Amino acid sequence: MPTLKIDNREINVPAGTKVIEAAERLGIMIPRFCFHPALGSVGACRVCAVAFTEGPVKGIQMSCMIDAQDGMVVSTTDAEAVDFRRHVIEFLMLNHPHDCPVCDEGGHCLLQDLTVAGGHGLRRYRGLKRTHINQDLGPLVQHEMNRCIQCYRCSRYYQEFTGYRDLGVMGIGSRVYFGRSAPGMLESPFAGNLIDICPTGVYTDKPSRYIGRRWDYQRQPSLCIHCSLGCNLTASARYRQVVRHEARPNLEVNGHFICDRGRYGYAYASIADRPRQAMAAGTPGPIVDILAGAREAIQQTVEKHGPGSVAVVVSPRSSLETLAVVKEACGQHGWTGPAAAHTNRQALNRNTAVSCLRPELAVSLAADTEAHDVLVIGADPLNEAPMLALSLRQVQRRGGHVIVIDPRGVQLPFDFDHWAVHPSAMGAILQALIQEIGGHRATAPDTPATFDITKLARRLNASPRPVVVCGTDILTPHEIALAGDLARALRRTHKVAGLFYTLAGANAFAAALLHDQPVSTEAVLDRIEDGGVRLLVAVEQDLWREFPDRKRLQAALKRLDHLVVLDYVDSPLNREAGHFIPTQPLYESGGHWINQEGRLQAASPVMAGGEPIEITGGSDHPPRVFDRRIPGDEPLAAWRAVAALAGEDEADPAPQLKTALADFHPAVNLSTPEATGQRIDLEAIAHDLVESGPAPEPAEDDAPADAVVLLLVDWTFGTEPLSAMAPALTRMEAAPVARLHPDEIARLGLAEGRPVTVSLNGNRLTVPVQADPRMAAGVMAVPRHHLLEWQVFGETRVIVKRSQLKAESE
Amino acid sequence: MTATYPQVLLKNRKPDRITTLSEYREAGGYEALRRVLTEMDRQEVKTRLADALLLGRGGAGFPAGIKVSTVAEDAPFPRYLVCNADEMEPGTFKDRVFLHAEPHMLIEGMALAAYSIRASHGIIFIRPEYESAAKILEREIGIARGEGLLGERILGSDYDFEIVVHRSGGRYICGEVTAQLNALQGRRPNPKQPPPYATDKGLWGLPTLANNVETLACIPHIVKNGAQWFKDLALTPEAAGTKLFCVSGKVNRPGCYELPLGIKLSEIIETCCGGMKDGATFKACLPGGASTGYLTADHYHIEMDFDSLKKARNRLGTGAVMVFDHHCCMVAATLNLTEFFARESCGWCTPCREGFPYLRDLLWRIENGQGEAGFIPMIKTMCRHLWKSYCAFAPGGVASIESLLMNFEDEVMAHIEGKGCPFKK
Repeated sequence: MPTLKIDNREINVPAGTKVIEAAERLGIMIPRFCFHPALGSVGACRVCAVAFTEGPVKGIQMSCMIDAQDGMVVSTTDAEAVDFRRHVIEFLMLNHPHDCPVCDEGGHCLLQDLTVAGGHGLRRYRGLKRTHINQDLGPLVQHEMNRCIQCYRCSRYYQEFTGYRDLGVMGIGSRVYFGRSAPGMLESPFAGNLIDICPTGVYTDKPSRYIGRRWDYQRQPSLCIHCSLGCNLTASARYRQVVRHEARPNLEVNGHFICDRGRYGYAYASIADRPRQAMAAGTPGPIVDILAGAREAIQQTVEKHGPGSVAVVVSPRSSLETLAVVKEACGQHGWTGPAAAHTNRQALNRNTAVSCLRPELAVSLAADTEAHDVLVIGADPLNEAPMLALSLRQVQRRGGHVIVIDPRGVQLPFDFDHWAVHPSAMGAILQALIQEIGGHRATAPDTPATFDITKLARRLNASPRPVVVCGTDILTPHEIALAGDLARALRRTHKVAGLFYTLAGANAFAAALLHDQPVSTEAVLDRIEDGGVRLLVAVEQDLWREFPDRKRLQAALKRLDHLVVLDYVDSPLNREAGHFIPTQPLYESGGHWINQEGRLQAASPVMAGGEPIEITGGSDHPPRVFDRRIPGDEPLAAWRAVAALAGEDEADPAPQLKTALADFHPAVNLSTPEATGQRIDLEAIAHDLVESGPAPEPAEDDAPADAVVLLLVDWTFGTEPLSAMAPALTRMEAAPVARLHPDEIARLGLAEGRPVTVSLNGNRLTVPVQADPRMAAGVMAVPRHHLLEWQVFGETRVIVKRSQLKAESE
Repeated sequence: MTATYPQVLLKNRKPDRITTLSEYREAGGYEALRRVLTEMDRQEVKTRLADALLLGRGGAGFPAGIKVSTVAEDAPFPRYLVCNADEMEPGTFKDRVFLHAEPHMLIEGMALAAYSIRASHGIIFIRPEYESAAKILEREIGIARGEGLLGERILGSDYDFEIVVHRSGGRYICGEVTAQLNALQGRRPNPKQPPPYATDKGLWGLPTLANNVETLACIPHIVKNGAQWFKDLALTPEAAGTKLFCVSGKVNRPGCYELPLGIKLSEIIETCCGGMKDGATFKACLPGGASTGYLTADHYHIEMDFDSLKKARNRLGTGAVMVFDHHCCMVAATLNLTEFFARESCGWCTPCREGFPYLRDLLWRIENGQGEAGFIPMIKTMCRHLWKSYCAFAPGGVASIESLLMNFEDEVMAHIEGKGCPFKK
């Protein structure tokens, strides 16, 4: 722990801390361009020069390149250092255009700040400025190379940190060019971070281009709800429209970055077809009347058929507030539910994961990067939870090793081992691994010889810091429990072994705490079909888009006496519903979310709501129509709407929310502000929810020779329902295809590029075939793409016989 | 002319072809390698190199013996030896001359250096303009392999060593060793500040020894004839060995000459090169390529070795002597050199990338009648700031500018006051 003196103030820092970071701890911001905490020091820009007056290093040196050492005396205000820094800024400004007034970075530009702060004011250079041709980098990132100050952050970030090679640096001298070899869409799904890390306006946010200056925006800390990782971001709104996300550093979760799905997925909150009016059977009406009507319908159903005839489904994306009030209402009134998962398997998967996540095993996304060996089971990080892939890349960069056991053709932006095994073999492999880790010789499961379980067990046992990452989408509860057992087995031989589950839904963890025995929409539909449930309340759960059997859903809904829908996205069900109540997305309601590792996080409301001026004003500004209230401000926070439906009268629901949150679950404590940002009390969660036990007897046709397992899976872009509404992201999507191993295509008599029709129980799904040699044999992966009517088979994992597949001619 | 001094590296130089393997062996070639592999242990090679005070001939003058000894005994394998043949210092052509004369001397030198650190892979990093030399090397490496002088079990010993010839993409910065190693690994040739040093973690994180062609070529002779013999070759007591001097500019017989270190500059110009061209007066010279400062007539009799030039606050560099006479405009000469550095800066750090174009602009204005007196302090400050660059490129690049202002400020002022170049009138 060296002690050094910076500007006459002493500080003690951990060994290996750079002087620039030590100064930062004292609140002294030494100028920097190339230095970035996530990218490290490279000494390129030379603007962090300070004077070392005493100690092991002397003279003017770059503070980012020198480790803090005992006895160092550093002056950041030394005249020579200040003069040098001023001239470095002058150098950087030689070619920088004076286009700040039309540059989107203007106002939050590090180069602007440091030019002003550094004291370089008058231009002395009389030569010409070098100019570059800009590139079209796709719909997300705007390129303006003339502004470049060559800090190399972008190429270091893009190539070293994210592992993609299509953007980098070319040329030498003052002609160095940062871009692609040819214009084109950036390949990395983390490209949007270029905008955040660029210290000036070379990379700017394309969808929000020219919309406003940072000080024009309503900016609040928010969260990403497009997967379960809970990445932190800052949301900006202007003119009643969410216009921009930026990564918000959280060193315990997402570090400094977010993925592009999270960065650009916000458009659903402001699009023109967002429902803003309450409706009764498709006819708009005042929200108070609609709420009263819905409440009456519920009361009548309860009176006629009993409280259990009212069922509630809620989204695992909804805020903790909504989940709590829904839970409270169901509990108090005896309603059925709430269901917060589509199928029984999915509900059990999620609850198994949550119950297996013991406090001593849980690791955060950020802690993942410190693992030495990561075993990924049944997860496709880049597609399911993109930032996990970025974390795993850091494991590999630090010399660690990643192995993925998954039937899909998993791709990651780094070298890793992939065991493409059939889904039915996963359980046996995990069991064998657990035995080997425990020192018992396992009987080798029926897997190819290249998958050396003994060697893998030895590797994990020898690893100082192994982490087990497990998905919950394609697996069965038994395998998910085995992943937990595996981590526990490793813990016996290690002080630190981690367990990291990904879940379905931003608040899936909280959804798992709704009940000990989870309820699924599938189970609720059973009750509708047998007449037990007569009224369904769907809270922010767009069943039409997300339930995996649309035909069954529609038939069941027809049997209902009444359907009440509360949502902020447009859906045919909204108009079919007896009562529809518009709700607010998180930008308006704010709220709490619990991410997949059990971390409780808060999002602040960003704006009051209302229809965007772009829509109401007909692109005319200022708006010409004046009103006493904001147009389109009817939507309520979902928890308020639920409270109003469940409440006796229209009293202030705030106390009700407080009680609901306090009663939600003993593990979740919202009474102190310090709890937010921390992991909830995992100890207080029942851990015997699901027994891993022996493997369930395989079903008769689990893996028959003439069948394939059809997996309906996530893709980075195009499958997550909210982000799929963002126009900027639709251009990033690939067209939906069924991926199979080339041998499998031949075996099944299909043809690459030609469509295949899957017929099962009278339902059909037609999708073009694509060969993927990384896939396991006997598996077909189809995305839950918004361009595909995939909601046909009732499950996202089904067995399809060869006879049920038909090659289409075109 | 030069015959009065002993020739070592260019002794058997022929006007139109290389020394063949058999000719080289007849002249005692590969004798050192045979002796080392059969009679000497590798420590003895290192000791001789250290005792011989062989200083790196690529420009920096770092003691080769010390560099060899920084490869730790217990360092991991495989280890690499890189021969820097990326000769791009303006005015320097010694490696080209040498490679077209004695390819086997280099091959033997590399085998010896590699043996001393137990390296199994040798790489000759050669600039693409030297295609003919690259072809010669590839051919002669094949011949040497056929004779058991390279490859597996060299000369019947248990020592294996292979050499490949790697053509550079062709940039000045690739001659900087850390940039060169980056280039060899398929990365951008940006320099990389140590630590780690290349001898510790070089190519692919493994120990890598990098030396200049001429340095490696000296090794067989040192091993064969001993350290004292090598030291005695030089004319000054601190120096050791001969040096390939490349003389260009306003002399009667420019060319590459092998001369003892410590020889007087005046002797090089007058005896070897036949004096100044057209009877002109010596005005200045660059003693060691474009990244050294001007030596003026005050230093006309300076002893050309590493120490003497250091004392004169200059550097021997690559030994490329560029001679200017009294008709030469030093501003124009410096502008020309600065143009080179502005073009060749790798673009990594700000002062170098932006400073050279800025300096070029100021010098161009002075040379072309747009100069102002205020430019002189600006240039001086800027040169000082360029010393705070990432690598040694910029300090080398400003050497000519700094020495221009130190030695020829009157000439610069004459440009500014006369609104143009006095030599063009």
